[in-house]
Amino acid sequence: MPDANLLPDATTTDGVFLVLAIVLPAAGVLLSFVLGGRYAERIALVLLPSGFILATIILVDVWQSGHRLVYIVGDWKPPLGIALRADGLSAAMMVVMAIVFCAVAIFAYADFGTRAGSAEARAPFAFWILLMAIWGAMNLIFLGGDLFTLYVALELLTFAAVPLVCLDGRAETLQAALRYLIFALLGSILYLVGTALLYGSYATLDIVLLSRQIRAEPATLVAAALMTIGLFAKTALFPLHLWLPPAHAGAPAAASAVLSAVVVKGSFFLVVRLWFDVMPGMLGGAGAQLFGALGAAAIIFGSVVALQQQRLKLLIAYSTVAQIGYLFLIFPLALDAASGQLQGSGALTGGIIQAISHATAKAAMFMAAGLIYAALGHDRIAELGGIARALPMTIFAFALGGVSLIGLPPSGGFLAKWILLEATVATGQWWWALVILAGGLFTSCYMFIVLSRAVAPSGAPLKLKTAVPKYQEAAALALALTSLLLGLVALGPIDIIEVGRPDSIMVGSR
Amino acid sequence: MIGQTTLLASAFVVPFGMLLLCLWPQILNRMPSLLAFAPIPALAAVLLVATDSSFAIGSARFHLTFAMDRPGAMLLGVSALLWIAAGAYASQYLQNRPNHGRFVVCWLMTLTGCVGVFLAADMVGFYFLLALLTLGACGLVIYHETPSAWRAGAVYIGLALLAEAFLLMAFVLLASEIPGNSLLIRDAAAALPTSPQRDLILALLIAGFGMKAGLVPFHFWMPLAYSAAPTPAAAVLSGAVVKASILGMIRFLPLGTALPDWGTAIAAAGLFAALYGVVIGITQRSPRLVLAYSSVSQMGFIIAIIGMGMLTGDGRAALAAAFYAAHHVLVKGALFLSVGVIAATGSRRLWPMLLPAAIIAVGLGGLPLTGGALAKFVADELLGDSTASTIATLSAIGTTLLMLQFLRHLASTASQDPQATANAGLVWPWLATAAVSLVVPWTLYLTVPRGTLPDPLSAAVLWKALWPVLLGGALAMALWRWWRSMPQIPKGDIIVALDGGVRAAVTWGKALQRTDSVLRQWPAATVSLLILTVALGAAVLAR
Amino acid sequence: MNAATLFGLCGAALVGLGLYGLVTNPEPLRKILAFNLLGSGVFLVFGVVAKRAAASGLGGDPVPQAMVITAIVVAFAATAMAIALVLRLLQETGRSTLSSDTSAATDTAGADS
Repeated sequence: MPDANLLPDATTTDGVFLVLAIVLPAAGVLLSFVLGGRYAERIALVLLPSGFILATIILVDVWQSGHRLVYIVGDWKPPLGIALRADGLSAAMMVVMAIVFCAVAIFAYADFGTRAGSAEARAPFAFWILLMAIWGAMNLIFLGGDLFTLYVALELLTFAAVPLVCLDGRAETLQAALRYLIFALLGSILYLVGTALLYGSYATLDIVLLSRQIRAEPATLVAAALMTIGLFAKTALFPLHLWLPPAHAGAPAAASAVLSAVVVKGSFFLVVRLWFDVMPGMLGGAGAQLFGALGAAAIIFGSVVALQQQRLKLLIAYSTVAQIGYLFLIFPLALDAASGQLQGSGALTGGIIQAISHATAKAAMFMAAGLIYAALGHDRIAELGGIARALPMTIFAFALGGVSLIGLPPSGGFLAKWILLEATVATGQWWWALVILAGGLFTSCYMFIVLSRAVAPSGAPLKLKTAVPKYQEAAALALALTSLLLGLVALGPIDIIEVGRPDSIMVGSR
Repeated sequence: MIGQTTLLASAFVVPFGMLLLCLWPQILNRMPSLLAFAPIPALAAVLLVATDSSFAIGSARFHLTFAMDRPGAMLLGVSALLWIAAGAYASQYLQNRPNHGRFVVCWLMTLTGCVGVFLAADMVGFYFLLALLTLGACGLVIYHETPSAWRAGAVYIGLALLAEAFLLMAFVLLASEIPGNSLLIRDAAAALPTSPQRDLILALLIAGFGMKAGLVPFHFWMPLAYSAAPTPAAAVLSGAVVKASILGMIRFLPLGTALPDWGTAIAAAGLFAALYGVVIGITQRSPRLVLAYSSVSQMGFIIAIIGMGMLTGDGRAALAAAFYAAHHVLVKGALFLSVGVIAATGSRRLWPMLLPAAIIAVGLGGLPLTGGALAKFVADELLGDSTASTIATLSAIGTTLLMLQFLRHLASTASQDPQATANAGLVWPWLATAAVSLVVPWTLYLTVPRGTLPDPLSAAVLWKALWPVLLGGALAMALWRWWRSMPQIPKGDIIVALDGGVRAAVTWGKALQRTDSVLRQWPAATVSLLILTVALGAAVLAR
Repeated sequence: MNAATLFGLCGAALVGLGLYGLVTNPEPLRKILAFNLLGSGVFLVFGVVAKRAAASGLGGDPVPQAMVITAIVVAFAATAMAIALVLRLLQETGRSTLSSDTSAATDTAGADS
């Protein structure tokens, strides 16, 4: 057992904020169960913005101090105890997710708000509780310092996400939820086997301790492979995406936004933690190319199948399948051929910006699709004619989200693409550049199809089923604008993502 | 100095601000009458800001830089003139038409992008503004919402985004070649000739800019887009917007270094396009299509000038190409505006309208004393006495013929009502553009450093310009008299081949979709999960 | 063969059985059972890990046991949730098969066209 004195891990001054970030959502969920009914909504609407403030404080703290925040739970040091750690990567992700959560909460107020005087219903109650649960699980994923805590967080995330899919209780969404659940469970079992093997070899699961002891032994490598594929299943990386399209397309709009924007990023984040932080030297060229190949296949398949969809929400869901692919291109691009290590700058920064920009853009697009569905009573792309005149703000938000997905400047998508392309040039792997550029072209094809239908005049005068509240449109537009202007962070603190990384060399990605 | 920076910034900040103001519906409704004012700051910047002044936005490590260089200033100035005239034309054009809002928004987007591209000095800013330009221009092309407009818009944006993908890759490669963190275009062009990736980067740049400039075989979007777009939009698209790609070539290609292989290839492609556009254009019936093919030809010629510059390493090619392009901005813009004016004019008042159009149209072929002759004169110095010069003369003859053909079709589109007169709001902007297109090239010529006035007025030069025009006129007469059954070539000619490609793509897409639905079956997905686990395990164990 | 190896082999056998059931069985209830079988196999592996790490004189390493207990709770919760979904599906449709393996393919092929 390593000498505890050697560990730099000790609770830092502001470490208590990390505990708050996890306790707040948990307290919110429990309180909602106790108080019941319409209180769930009020609690969520108070807690989510405070969560955003909290995440911002953590981010600023990490940025200013230049090292990670740590909290040792109960002062029991790892390997026996549990540490919470916030580095630049997790702090940045927390802030973005908090922004998405706040926007979703505003958006969902129209669909799941209980107005004064009206009877309480179960679906809204469940929605707000699940929203807070996902938020808490995500924070735990970002902050958790050992692999088993992360397993628990991952399961919490799944258990909160699955019911969101079938909130409306229709048979097909129940089926989608069941498929999602069983496939995700298969993934988590693989992850669990991996943790068992790792513990058997090193007698610790703490990320920092593991990263110091890790050796390239068969047991370690098999464990890593098992955990990775389990996480792939939960991220819906092609060809393990069977559950994603029906689940994301069938869920209510607010839920789809959370599932697509937030939930898949949780397991992706763990893949990054595992390979970049725990075992940066273990992946090797062949493994990295396999990651990249799966990502490339996801981009091509997801985009081409999205092009042929006749329903808007399914199209967006397939677009998620494609965009997830980009995230896995960072592995071959971050691999330093000379040292065999995954480098924590450049491509990783690009991948995280891609994740962030996709989160905001895709949430906005699902919200817009939800509003279109509510207004028209359907989301058949061929019959969208006239909707751009009826809901200009919504279509605008949808289009801006698309601009970010395509990767036009100044969006975050552009910045991510630029950094990734730079990495392809630096490492001489031109084939990934082809995939990145082709993906952008495919994306513009399906965006053009949808937008051209939307701005085309309608045959008959359009009658909207319901009036769409302005604040719902505004929530979608705000997220889309966030994604569009994300590229401007290049003018500012883009290095934040590299703070607190073991191999941080602040090279920057220009 | 601060004043200069502000002025430079206002050139694109003002149109962009107007674009943002369009978010308010009340302002949007009044915006059509303000369109002509949006480009004025750009014009003022050209006139008042010293060349080579620049400014940057952003942090020390990453910033967007804007600067005014000589070719950029030249193109920006004449483009601003065209934008002002076309804006005035558009405000009249939009009366009694639906969808003001969309037109105005797309117009301002295009304007912002156009002005910005001319000023952008770094690659990221250039790419951003080019993308803005493309999106806005696509919106203008599909304004009428007819099926052919949609098709034109789809082809336009598809090709433009493909071109931008090529350019993005080229920019990223260039960025990796520049020592240090700079993203300036100037540094990129300086690093290019010695780069180990030189040929790849050049191929990407030429493919990207060539598609945007309508270089054969990527010209098919031009006839589609220019015939579908509203008249004022067609004027600025064919005049100002397409020059962004020329400016891109001037800035990125290493014109000061002799690269004979690349120079020959580019010059040959450009000269081929110069002739190809004429040949196909002669068979077209609609005046807009004739103009579009003339654009294919003229853009080819400008690219040939750049190619000749690369061939010999003659840095003067930059200014010569910019000068020729500047002339084309005004003439093509004026001619497109004339199409709208003539269509609203009856036979009674046709001649006063047709005559200015005739002068500038034939000027494009090189009629002495017009800007066209001057532009050809400047270009001639670079072409020398080579084969290129012969082809250039051929293209001048052809262009004269093509322009006479255009005038003939133009006259036949005049209004059925003999008494009809075009609205003054349409006529004045057009006449102004026509006049400017005659005067401005001479003014610009005086600013081109090595130019002196007497030279282009010598008898030999005048005769050299005149005889191709006369020959072209004679050919036109002969053509009209003896060759009545012209072959019918569909607009966009080789785009017919594209339809086959689309069908093949659809088949492939369906196949991918079937594969996808097989992979999404439960047993298939779980088995692939197991296979992947084994594969990844093997991959990491075997490393 | 010592106890740890025996446990390990048992765990592997359970995992194999569970995987087979999970892959081939179309019935959701059987899939859930297969998942539990698979889970039990993995928990046995944890037992092996605890036993093998016990070289330092203790009867067993307590940390894996704590983990197993947590994992069992998680698996229990997952099972409960899955059963609830199956029951609800039965109420809605009258059958509890996951036949959407085929219907999912048609919904992309354009059920609404």
